[in-house]
Amino acid sequence: MNPTAMRFGLWVAFVPVLIAVIGLALQGLAMTDSALFFDWAFYLEVLVAGLLQGVLYSLVALGFVLIFKASGVFNFAQGSMVLFAALTMVGFIEMGLHWTLAFVVTAGVMVLVAIAVERVVLRPLVNQPHIILFMATIGIFYFLDGFGQMLWGSDVKMLEIGIPKQGLTILTDVFEYGIRINAFDLVAALVGAALVAVLAVFFQYTRVGRALRAVADDHQAALSVGIPLKTIWAIVWSVAGIVALVAGIMWGSKAGVQFSLALIALKALPVLILGGFTSIPGAIVGGLIIGAGEQVAEVFLGPLVGGAIQEWFAYMLALAFLLVRPQGLFGERIIERI
Amino acid sequence: MTYGEKHIGGTLLKVDNITLAFGGVKALTDISFEIREHEILAIIGPNGAGKTSMLNVINGFYHPQQGRIEFRGVERKAMRPHLAAKQGIARTFQNVALFKGMSTLDNIMTGRILKMKSNIFQQAIYWGANQREEIAHREVVEKIIDFLEIEAIRKTPVGRLPYGLQKRVELARALAMEPDLLLLDEPMAGMNVEEKEDMCRFVLDVNDEFGTTIALIEHDMGVVMDISDRVVVLDYGRKLADGPPAEVRANKDVIDAYLGVSH
Amino acid sequence: MLYREAGQFKTTYNADQAIFPIRQDRIGLALFGLVAVFAVPAFASNYFLETIFVPFLVFALAAIGLNILTGYCGQLSLGTGGFMACGAFFSYKLAIAFPELHIVIVFLLGGLGTAAVGVLFGLPSLRIKGFYLAVATLAAQFFLVWMFNKFPWWTNYSPSGVISAPPRDVLPGFAVTGSGGDPAVKYLFLLVLVTVLALVAKNLVRSRIGRSWMAIRDMDIAAEIIGIRPLWAKLSAFAVSSFFIGIAGALWAFVYTGSVEALAFQIDRSFQVLFMVIIGGLGSILGSFLGAAFIVLLPIFLSNAPGVLGLQIRVEVIAHLEFMIFGALIVFFLIVEPHGLARLWQIGKEKLRLWPFPY
Repeated sequence: MNPTAMRFGLWVAFVPVLIAVIGLALQGLAMTDSALFFDWAFYLEVLVAGLLQGVLYSLVALGFVLIFKASGVFNFAQGSMVLFAALTMVGFIEMGLHWTLAFVVTAGVMVLVAIAVERVVLRPLVNQPHIILFMATIGIFYFLDGFGQMLWGSDVKMLEIGIPKQGLTILTDVFEYGIRINAFDLVAALVGAALVAVLAVFFQYTRVGRALRAVADDHQAALSVGIPLKTIWAIVWSVAGIVALVAGIMWGSKAGVQFSLALIALKALPVLILGGFTSIPGAIVGGLIIGAGEQVAEVFLGPLVGGAIQEWFAYMLALAFLLVRPQGLFGERIIERI
Repeated sequence: MTYGEKHIGGTLLKVDNITLAFGGVKALTDISFEIREHEILAIIGPNGAGKTSMLNVINGFYHPQQGRIEFRGVERKAMRPHLAAKQGIARTFQNVALFKGMSTLDNIMTGRILKMKSNIFQQAIYWGANQREEIAHREVVEKIIDFLEIEAIRKTPVGRLPYGLQKRVELARALAMEPDLLLLDEPMAGMNVEEKEDMCRFVLDVNDEFGTTIALIEHDMGVVMDISDRVVVLDYGRKLADGPPAEVRANKDVIDAYLGVSH
Repeated sequence: MLYREAGQFKTTYNADQAIFPIRQDRIGLALFGLVAVFAVPAFASNYFLETIFVPFLVFALAAIGLNILTGYCGQLSLGTGGFMACGAFFSYKLAIAFPELHIVIVFLLGGLGTAAVGVLFGLPSLRIKGFYLAVATLAAQFFLVWMFNKFPWWTNYSPSGVISAPPRDVLPGFAVTGSGGDPAVKYLFLLVLVTVLALVAKNLVRSRIGRSWMAIRDMDIAAEIIGIRPLWAKLSAFAVSSFFIGIAGALWAFVYTGSVEALAFQIDRSFQVLFMVIIGGLGSILGSFLGAAFIVLLPIFLSNAPGVLGLQIRVEVIAHLEFMIFGALIVFFLIVEPHGLARLWQIGKEKLRLWPFPY
């Protein structure tokens, strides 16, 4: 059986156990410290909310994985691409377009952005060390940030495309008050799953996908077998741009489109560390873990230290993880050849 | 300088039954040989035979699953490269491992690092003890630069040097460590006849003047026959032969391996 | 014709290894020093001193610190803000607890404390490299700022959460911290302090420890085989770097803004210093100064340029333009001259050597 599938399966089985154990630990902690509160129904609610928040993280992380997988570049600008895409879409909607049309037009805009980035930034920096490319993407980050806000203004905008937002209560037969979840989060999860499926198929089974993987390995080698580097990069960044657009829509619908969206880029780093920089399923799993972990920690452990743990929890978790398994859950082991 | 009379000493390094595997791939299987003090030992074999892996094991980069290594009669447990360096083992690489961001002079000066003793405060102040130390080591480095005839490029960033000169700088850096055992991984790869002759001369001079024991991986048979005292032949991770060049050259297994007769 | 090395023969290694081996450079430096020490305080207005020269010097010190870690040792760090906060708050607690202690000693001790924190957050660098390490430094950044913000002990339980730096004199009668200080005095104090620390940095960088940092940066595997212990080299880089950055943070709070608050040291501060290092030149002490000057002057230039050119641009648009120009400049520098302004400076000097001849 495919080792990745097997590992995935093991985790799926392991996870309910882990959740139960953590729940018990938190319950024990709450019993000793009166500042803490624990209730199983509430715990599951928080967990589910966190998982669904995690899906949103994953959507952003997916864009990173795409670009990293295909060009070895860690695209720090992904966060600002999310913001820019969302701003553009809102802008078009405010100009009167129906949201489906706005989506298509914005996707086109993101393709243009991708081409521009390839032309202006990536081409001149072919075969530079990755750290240089990374820093160039920091430059793109700032540029897009400023550009987007200059075009569309920097007020918080609401993105309304009709995603259901009402609360639902489930499992009323198991728990007294049931568990409340939000319909929106379910939609987000479905969108995420669909996107992942499409991307996985794209990478594994299409010619373009194979070319992308070749490029990620070695630019010059890919060039020498005739893979058109420029086109490939433009394609990848376009796809990443569209993924950013989807992520932007989901985030924007949930929390409004605002400048801090760009800083989501930073949150994606822990997600990628957990899931591995080159794994699409890893981005999902990583996002789920970070999202859930953050929420649970904030709600149940936060009161111990005055709250706002989520400012740093994800990074500390990633750090702890790195020390144990530097390549992430799904990443490839780096063997240095001398 | 006579190359005829040379006093070859006792065993400097001994490897016994070394087996090294990466996952399912066996890089080395049951290799045993020794390197004697003051000699020049050549390790040869077809590509993929495990020669570089053998050097990596001696150096401490790879840890063999089985076998033991004895250096100066003392058995080494898990060795790390910087400990190997401390013990007097220096090394060059197939793909030149120079510090591309630094000049030739600085690269060779890094080779002196183990010999430098000033602490951080002395370095922060610089004038006084640290300056004297820097000058003293600079003198040593300049001698090596003279020896290898690379005066003209001492301030050039090594990234800009042609491949042949880079290899010479790498050799200089290894020499700066004043090693007892020098491991050279294809020091003449990619060189033309003249450059090879120069490099051979340097290797012989190092061995002769400083008495450094040298183990080198080399593909050029002419070079191997000319300069080495003994030859070890590897193929598919196994040792085929071990002895003086003339003997090895006549060995049937070796000839078969090179001509490609399957075993 | 002016800038020639002809006739200047180095007869000792000492002379060859000097920081400024060319006589014209030394003369230039002397002139520059005279201007800096005498002309600037005499002729520059208080506004200039306070908004340009003081932050420039503080940032230059922070940039030197980050350059040691990222430029010389190759360990990417996004935690500069957090370490600056350490220096500021450690110094604050020390200054309050030991009011008799001379302020420079307080700063140095604050720097040492930050160095310890730096080593702690640098420990992961033994297992992780590159971007992964950036995450460890991000963890440091967010955690430290959260900690200084969250626990009122750091601000001495001040009700507003913002504390002013206690006034201290560097020499009796010359206040450098707190609101009472004369900008000229602050400027000169910083000039001396930063120059001395920059000299220390330069000395470290051209000694054994600096070479070990650069070796780790260029090829850590090769560094190991010549006997450098990666652990030692990386942690020492973290320690020294954090020392400098901590002092810069303390100077920021005490001398520049006059108040100690965690919000001044958030993630955008880390990026700001990183930009200085990239634009100024990775692996160059001079570059740290040039980059700091550039980043300090750019916003001022941008907010004044439209007025000078007769254009009317709204304030928010200028802010957005600033971002765009920053971003574009980063990309520009990385493409055209990844070694930053420092390399451009070097190239300029080489051209000057030949002047007026073409080659």
